[in-house]
Amino acid sequence: MKIVLATPLYPPDIAEPAPYIKELATRLAREHDVHIVTYGRYVEPIDGVRITAVDKRDPLPVRLLRFALTLRRASRHADLVYAENGPSVEFPLLFLSFITSFRYVLHLGDVHALERLEHRPLLRLLHNLFKRRAESVFGELPPERPELIPFLPRPAQEFERYERNWKHHVESFSSLLRHA
Amino acid sequence: MPNSARKSWEKYKEEEIVRITDAMRGLGYALDLEQVHIGGERYLQSGQKLVLTGKDRYGKRVVIKGSSRPAGMREIEREHEQRTLLENLPFAYRTFESPRELAYGKRASIRYAVTEFIQEERGFLKYSTEEQFFLALKAFKEQEGAHATTAGHARAVRGKFGILSAEKYLADFGDFVRLSGSHDTLLRAHAFLSEHREIMDGYGGFLTHTDFVPHNFRIMDGKLYLLDHTSLAFANKYEGWARFLNFMTLYNPELEKYLSEYVRLNRSAEEYLALRLMRVYKLGFLVSYYASTLAKTEGNLRSLSEKRISFWLKAMDAILADTQLAQETVDLYKKERDALRSEEEMRRQRVLNQL
Repeated sequence: MKIVLATPLYPPDIAEPAPYIKELATRLAREHDVHIVTYGRYVEPIDGVRITAVDKRDPLPVRLLRFALTLRRASRHADLVYAENGPSVEFPLLFLSFITSFRYVLHLGDVHALERLEHRPLLRLLHNLFKRRAESVFGELPPERPELIPFLPRPAQEFERYERNWKHHVESFSSLLRHA
Repeated sequence: MPNSARKSWEKYKEEEIVRITDAMRGLGYALDLEQVHIGGERYLQSGQKLVLTGKDRYGKRVVIKGSSRPAGMREIEREHEQRTLLENLPFAYRTFESPRELAYGKRASIRYAVTEFIQEERGFLKYSTEEQFFLALKAFKEQEGAHATTAGHARAVRGKFGILSAEKYLADFGDFVRLSGSHDTLLRAHAFLSEHREIMDGYGGFLTHTDFVPHNFRIMDGKLYLLDHTSLAFANKYEGWARFLNFMTLYNPELEKYLSEYVRLNRSAEEYLALRLMRVYKLGFLVSYYASTLAKTEGNLRSLSEKRISFWLKAMDAILADTQLAQETVDLYKKERDALRSEEEMRRQRVLNQL
């Protein structure tokens, strides 16, 4: 199936949902056709995944419009558009959803963006509207990958838990796909 | 020529200390009689401000930065502006510790900044390698937490912090090659950097301390305090790592290995490459720095500069080959270096590196 992941952050960005999206795309690409649409100049490649990035240095209106157009093109014939929260994704997608029959699933992976909404009433309004128009809202975020410390034994149990969480997450994602 | 550089530094230092002492007296600060940081080979470095130690009127230790020269004054002003901006950076996910600024201003002809003195229980290198690893890693993660990516972010930091791109790194390295006599290793290194220009830019825009070595930070209560803000820049994420790992080639090769391995095991292949690229860049700087001191030195110090150039070129070869420099090479260099160093410089190094 064809899946489009729309995200405001992607590695080299370090904050969530950047590492999450990279991991999710890597796992989904084993069975599906995955395309990531994000912001940035340079993006870390993933085998078998197409990544399109809109330059963040463009003026705000230009980059929002470019993101909307890029996403529109990428999502043609897509079975699922999976959008991360955050104004730079929410605004272009909302715009598309009003002028076309664009549908998406919202994932609440950018915790910082959610926290910022508390003090930004306009962005909160945008987010709530975006959330209302989503086909479904998904909040699950698997924990970060355990770190390997060169002079310590590999944390086998933590890795087991990590893999279990991701397996469960991909299963939940697959159920989203079945309903898409 | 070699003597004149030293003489003019000594003259400047003496006169400037008198001016700073006078300026600080009125504010209730007194300079320590002995100022180890400005002795030895310090005269070879550029920079027109003095970093001195002293006490306030209650006997509490402080660090005083002062200058009467325009470039030095500008450096102190810039550091003050950077401190203020860092406290309110809108796109920083994490913050790091730095000593509190106690006084800042201009008095008579002196621009000054006084900060609290962070009293360490022991120097960074006296901690176990495992403790050093976690302290350094935490500091790197804190710096990486600020990532300037948008035009708005760039506007917020432009003029306050250096912003380094692949174009700048390559131009600098071109100068390093020219200044160091187009050595074969440097030419290969230049080609390596040019080939991976995209990676250098790709991991750019991160807050990084470009001179992240133990004499620029102190440890208190398990926290690492950054002392020198002038070397903070928005640059490749691994520039600070690179400087630190290159330093550890000499002072703790085991830590160098662990941190390099940490990046390889936990981060992407592109990030590990970015680290190697930055290590090569920083070594290019070091080699050209020592090449530039040849004209200002004579006798043992000149021989030492030559040994240093040769040693750091070997280190660069090792990074280009993605290996670690042989311990025998490091030990031999350290033996030769110590035999050529002056007593005064040995003392300065012991204090700087808390050995």
